[in-house]
Amino acid sequence: MKRIQHLTLVDDDEVFVFLAKKAIKQTNLVEQVKVFDNGQEALGFLLENLRQPSELPEVILLDLSMPVMDGWQFLHEFTKLSPNLSKKIKIFICSSSISPEEIEMAKEINAVSDFIIKPINKEKMIEVIQKV
Amino acid sequence: MEKIEDFQYTLDVSAIVAITDHRGVINHVNENFCRISKYSPEELIGKDHRVINSGFHDKEFFLDLWSTISKGKVWKGEIKNRAKDGTYYWVDTTIVPFLDAEGKPYKYVAIRNDITERKLGEERLKNSLKELSDYKYALDESAIVAITDQKGFIKHVNDNFCKISKYSRSELIGQDHRIINSGFHPKSFIRDLWVTISHGKVWKGELRNQAKDGTFYWVDTTIVPFLNEARKPYQYLAIRSDITERKQAEEALRISKNKAVENAKALENKNKQLVDFCNIVSHNLRAPLVNISMLVDYLESSEDEVERQEIQDKIKPVINHLMEVFNELVESIQVQQDKDIELDDIDLHQMLRKVLLGFSFQLTELKADVHVDIEEAPKIRFPHRYMESILTNLISNSLKYRSPQRKPIIRIRTIKKANKIVLSVKDNGLGINMDLHKKHMFKIRKTFHKHKDAKGFGLFMTKSQVEAMGGKIWVDSQPDLGATFFVEIDNNKL
Repeated sequence: MKRIQHLTLVDDDEVFVFLAKKAIKQTNLVEQVKVFDNGQEALGFLLENLRQPSELPEVILLDLSMPVMDGWQFLHEFTKLSPNLSKKIKIFICSSSISPEEIEMAKEINAVSDFIIKPINKEKMIEVIQKV
Repeated sequence: MEKIEDFQYTLDVSAIVAITDHRGVINHVNENFCRISKYSPEELIGKDHRVINSGFHDKEFFLDLWSTISKGKVWKGEIKNRAKDGTYYWVDTTIVPFLDAEGKPYKYVAIRNDITERKLGEERLKNSLKELSDYKYALDESAIVAITDQKGFIKHVNDNFCKISKYSRSELIGQDHRIINSGFHPKSFIRDLWVTISHGKVWKGELRNQAKDGTFYWVDTTIVPFLNEARKPYQYLAIRSDITERKQAEEALRISKNKAVENAKALENKNKQLVDFCNIVSHNLRAPLVNISMLVDYLESSEDEVERQEIQDKIKPVINHLMEVFNELVESIQVQQDKDIELDDIDLHQMLRKVLLGFSFQLTELKADVHVDIEEAPKIRFPHRYMESILTNLISNSLKYRSPQRKPIIRIRTIKKANKIVLSVKDNGLGINMDLHKKHMFKIRKTFHKHKDAKGFGLFMTKSQVEAMGGKIWVDSQPDLGATFFVEIDNNKL
């Protein structure tokens, strides 16, 4: 099984974050999980660590509906800074949304690897990690 | 004797002369006779005078002539004759019988003058008069006709006019033409009509008139001014045709078109609401449901008592959250549906005093300044409950998202814009990054600052209330300078 060093959760829903962390732990495939509760904070972290690949995550699970900076705005900013990143980061949208429009919109964005509809569990997390 | 010859000469030069015997057989014609009849003397002498009969006059005409002259009396009259080439000529004729010793005519002298020109003129006039009366007949049959004097008083109306206006002729003659005015057309329209015709120009247009029984009819109208020598109108001829049916069809079409557009708009609105609702359900209701389902799954799979307790403790707040969002949604739908909510006359001064009283503790605590400038529109027609909620929400936001750098200043203003009133609440607080949040400003559960009380419901509800009443809401803001919220209310409609 493939293992990863860093996984980042960008989600403002405390309960979901609590449960997602548990699921990730159960997979035993992830060394470290970082959490940001909106796009702005995640973006700030990425900007600070552009040149430090060891600090950057291999994968981001991104919620869409968040205060301050939502998932779409984060993706917009991420696309702009990604050429300067010293590490390839895969982004999975992880949302409670089942709106076909939003799923379609996500497909249009190159930086997005896939659209995961909540809820998630251990099995789903393994699947995601294997795609990284 | 010389004297008589002179007379004969004069007569021959000036008149058309013929002499016949008592039976009417020609035995003398002068040059003028030959010229006008185009016969030579040889062709005429010895012939019955009827050779030049045109057949125009009836038998009685000639009977009368003969009975007059045969009695020895002079006959005068106008006769239409025919020349040799078949053309006609008119002659003013005097026939003088010459009597023998017994008093019986033995010859007749006919003295004629050519009146063909005059006769033709008369004939032409008669023809054109006939044509004119034909035109008038045709007009009266086909159109609605009225003639007014230069002041608009009715001088003549035809039967069609009476029929459509349902007035009798005697009720119309002498009346001001405005008797059939329906009051439908704006003053400027009628003024334009009068300016046109009083300048001697023809006016054409469609008019709605009112009949005696109060019903309306539409007429396609042409008004022709009749001008005197000074080129000033002395009367107006109005020719109309009934276009009521066409107008009614047009109106029906216009109404159904408007209705269709309105329906399409309403449908579009409903559709938009439905999409919004779908998004709300997808994000805001589904999210807590997902959490509950995940929590329950864990609870079932976990065997660790401590962990089970930890999870159990998390279920209740999620359910409360779900309930809260659900209630908010129901409340906003009620506002959107309650289109018949009653409008109140609101004294804004009074309402603001009450709302600000509710914030008095916070205002004192924060040393906030509130400026109220609502003199331009101190009264507003709006549901009382909604307006109170809108003001409370906007003022509460100004305080909640104040800048930590300065004491809060809030300015509340109303301005009049045509039929609309724009209420604004301006603060000097944190402001909002419009580039990032413009799209989400008024959406449910959208927040733009990290604040423990930020729920993302206030502005969503405010927008629902404003839009339910046909108003508009928008915001102008710059980060760290403050925000101004504008609510535009259509006071004309209200």
